[in-house]
Amino acid sequence: MNQLERLLTELSQQKLQNQTRRHFLMDCVTKMGGLAMVPLLFGCEPGNSRKPAGLNLSERDLNPLAPLPPPFAPKAKSIIYLHMAGAPSQLELFDYKPELVKLDGKDCPASLLEGRQFAFIRGVPSILGPQAKFAQHGESGAWVSDYLPHFSTVVDEVSFLKAVHTDQFNHGPAQLFMQTGSPRLGRPSIGSWVTYGLGTENQNLPGFVVLTSGGKTPDAGKSVWGSGFLPSVYQGVQCRSKGDPVLYLQDPEGMTRNMKKSVIEAINAANEESFKDFGDPETLARINQYEMAYRMQIEVPEVMNINDEPESIHELYGTKPGEESFANNCLLARKLVEKGVRFVQLYDWGWDTHGNAKEVSVDFGLRNKCRELDRPVTALLLDLKQRGLLEETLVVWGGEFGRTPMQENREGKVQGWKGRDHHGEAFTMWMAGGGIKKGASYGITDDFGFSGVDERVSVHDIHATILDRMGFNHEEFTYDFQGRPFRLTDVEGQLIQSILA
Amino acid sequence: MEFLLPLFGRFHPLFVHLPIGILFFGVFLIFISGKEKNSFAAVIPFAFLVGTFFALLSGISGFLQYRYEGYSWETVQIHLILGWSTVATSAWLYFQFRKQPEIDNTLKIQSAGLLLLLMATGHFGGNITHGEDYLIEVLPPGLKASLGLEFEESKPLQLQEDNWEEVAFYEGAIQPILNYNCTSCHNPRNRKGELDLTTGKDLLSGGEDGKVLAHGDLANSSLFARLVLPKEDEEHMPPKEKRQPKKGEIELIKTWIESGASMEKTLGEAKVPRSLVSAFFVREEIPFYPETKLGKVPEDSISNIRERGFFIENISLASPLLRVSCLNFPDFQDQDWSYIDRVSSHITYLDLSETKASSKILESLQSLDNLTILKLNGLPLSGENLDLLINNHNLKILYLNSTNISIENLKLLDGHPSLEKVYAFKTPASSQEKVTLSFELETWDFMLPKLATDTIVY
Repeated sequence: MNQLERLLTELSQQKLQNQTRRHFLMDCVTKMGGLAMVPLLFGCEPGNSRKPAGLNLSERDLNPLAPLPPPFAPKAKSIIYLHMAGAPSQLELFDYKPELVKLDGKDCPASLLEGRQFAFIRGVPSILGPQAKFAQHGESGAWVSDYLPHFSTVVDEVSFLKAVHTDQFNHGPAQLFMQTGSPRLGRPSIGSWVTYGLGTENQNLPGFVVLTSGGKTPDAGKSVWGSGFLPSVYQGVQCRSKGDPVLYLQDPEGMTRNMKKSVIEAINAANEESFKDFGDPETLARINQYEMAYRMQIEVPEVMNINDEPESIHELYGTKPGEESFANNCLLARKLVEKGVRFVQLYDWGWDTHGNAKEVSVDFGLRNKCRELDRPVTALLLDLKQRGLLEETLVVWGGEFGRTPMQENREGKVQGWKGRDHHGEAFTMWMAGGGIKKGASYGITDDFGFSGVDERVSVHDIHATILDRMGFNHEEFTYDFQGRPFRLTDVEGQLIQSILA
Repeated sequence: MEFLLPLFGRFHPLFVHLPIGILFFGVFLIFISGKEKNSFAAVIPFAFLVGTFFALLSGISGFLQYRYEGYSWETVQIHLILGWSTVATSAWLYFQFRKQPEIDNTLKIQSAGLLLLLMATGHFGGNITHGEDYLIEVLPPGLKASLGLEFEESKPLQLQEDNWEEVAFYEGAIQPILNYNCTSCHNPRNRKGELDLTTGKDLLSGGEDGKVLAHGDLANSSLFARLVLPKEDEEHMPPKEKRQPKKGEIELIKTWIESGASMEKTLGEAKVPRSLVSAFFVREEIPFYPETKLGKVPEDSISNIRERGFFIENISLASPLLRVSCLNFPDFQDQDWSYIDRVSSHITYLDLSETKASSKILESLQSLDNLTILKLNGLPLSGENLDLLINNHNLKILYLNSTNISIENLKLLDGHPSLEKVYAFKTPASSQEKVTLSFELETWDFMLPKLATDTIVY
């Protein structure tokens, strides 16, 4: 407790030094005003009135990551969400449109362009036929292109959503929308909601882990795994597959684990004092994060180390330890889920195939991205399946939007390579595992693959379905903020009944 | 100065309470006065005088309100007639008492009559402002039904996945939606707004504002238009405090009207897309976890177990069944079972993977009546005593990955009453020849072939 005493003395001395007559007068003013503000502020206090039942407020506040039972028995215990940042082309992967082959190179009909806005397309673009060869696979007869030869062998595990739509056509807002239910900053991500609702199972690991690959983090920044207005302890913890898994987790030289422990105890005791004084819930979040970091020091390097996996597993996934790759992240995702992590979020950057360079064309660059995706994703599904983890793990795959059936014509010029613009009206996503039908396909698009004709699915519908599989009714799972209850699905969202097992 | 009269009219809600109170008080005095010495005799006529005065004010203001605020004669007639009768009766009683200040039974009867008149006036006045069901609304549904005030609630719309196209659009889909959402008020007994929605014929005949349905014309079909008004709007239906119809139900009504509001067509003939009706398909869901009559384990015994290092949690908020895992307790040994033995009948999901438990643990597991999922991955199981699990008649999924289990051991479980699946990844059983068992045995060890495309860089 020596450190604590020293810290507290230092703090009070600091306070005294700063205290002058003016401060005193100032205090009188602000505190009298403060009294009047109390009822006003009370209404803004985050989420006090509507905590999920099961634990009372103080317990939940002191131990915000303690596990909580969901409102109803869940079909899935964990989620692996594979987000292809940049938005892959559904027309080269899953949504086969033979009509586009015939129309390739012809001017796009005016009816598709009228009153619509595109990110880059100007004037009248030409139609771009599918660049991949398609075939039906599995017993379900799902259409998958030759860009994904491995994945096409596991289509019977998957439910395709072929007419997903979003109202955003720029990466940042669309990613935010996909991950937080709102295209603007400030809302908690799906993973935060889930961790807030369920806590973490493994007390040495965060409940929500984020892994990125492709050389960049998503355009929307770290807000896509942020906690928004939820206490920040529920935000995603980004781990790296190369170098230290979590930055600044390793002890510096000369610092033993015991020293670290006493430091953290002292800091936390000081923070508890501060919490008693100010009651700021962020202080509690900080206390918990210090404790979590301390416990993570042991468990994280162990779970993030893929060296000990047998050779056969490395071969299955195509992993190379020590690299930052989507394959490594897929293997890590399985390991994390095995260790009781609720929500593993993978972001793979590099799917933005406009066709303004070879690397970002749908006939070259996209094939390279698909090669990096195909084996690991297939391996992940198979590995989860053979361990029986697919029974209780929900796997979601998708980008933030889709791509146009038209060749992009940035600045009115023909691109050097084949490429497609951003398109939110209809694109493909898939789900598999916990409580999801095997080999189903939902959603029909028109002959151009431009818009959904039937069985359209909104981003909110996907969120509603994810929450349902985790044991929540999305309409009742709320958090009070700024005087009203907030939901992940805002005022929308319908369960996609047709893909539920 | 034209505003004065309507303004005065708007004081009606204020004035009306005065005669109610004062006249009530007067009648009250009559009833408590003894026969002999009458100390209230001086007050009683005064009460009636003041009461009459304010009743008159109420009557006048009420009449003005009727004139200026657009109330129909039908709405106010009873209230108005009763109100003026109250004024007349109380004036008459006043003069009566002045003439003969004696409290006899006749006066008591007369004043009781006034009281009834007063209450009736007040009641019908309240009906105008608060709605006719103001008092009935808060009654419990059962009581309402037995009083004949409410139509018994029907079930939400359900369709069969295999024959929904043959179902009549109106009779089979729209009417059930109306029955579920609307007919508790719009039925032959209640007829709110003169509208009855219990049959197609009644629906077509409309309500007090005329027809509620215009074939193929959404905007002029108040049946639909009122559903999509903002909830705060007075015209919104159902009233905002009632259960609101689901989006899918409104969509279906919309499609019905758009398609011409036919009473004969089937859903298939009206070309209703499957996505509009799929939400109404009957799903027979067999609950995965067993149903149980067990009570909940008290929170403090759960926290005691948690303190030992176990992960323990109810599978859902309402369920008494427990999920127990040793994820945070890798040092678990057979004897540690004693900590959780107390709650053993509640355990439905048990994960002892990667702990220090031995084969012997199976003996402790026998008594777990509700055990549905059991994970024993990575335990040094020899497998000879697997038959102990035959008594777990709710066990559905068994995980034996990375154990020493062989097909011979698994045969001990053949014929298990409930077992559906056994995972035996990385066990001797994976490499043995498959046999047919009463449950699925999953011993995959997946490999992906090396394809040329795995290495081609485009």
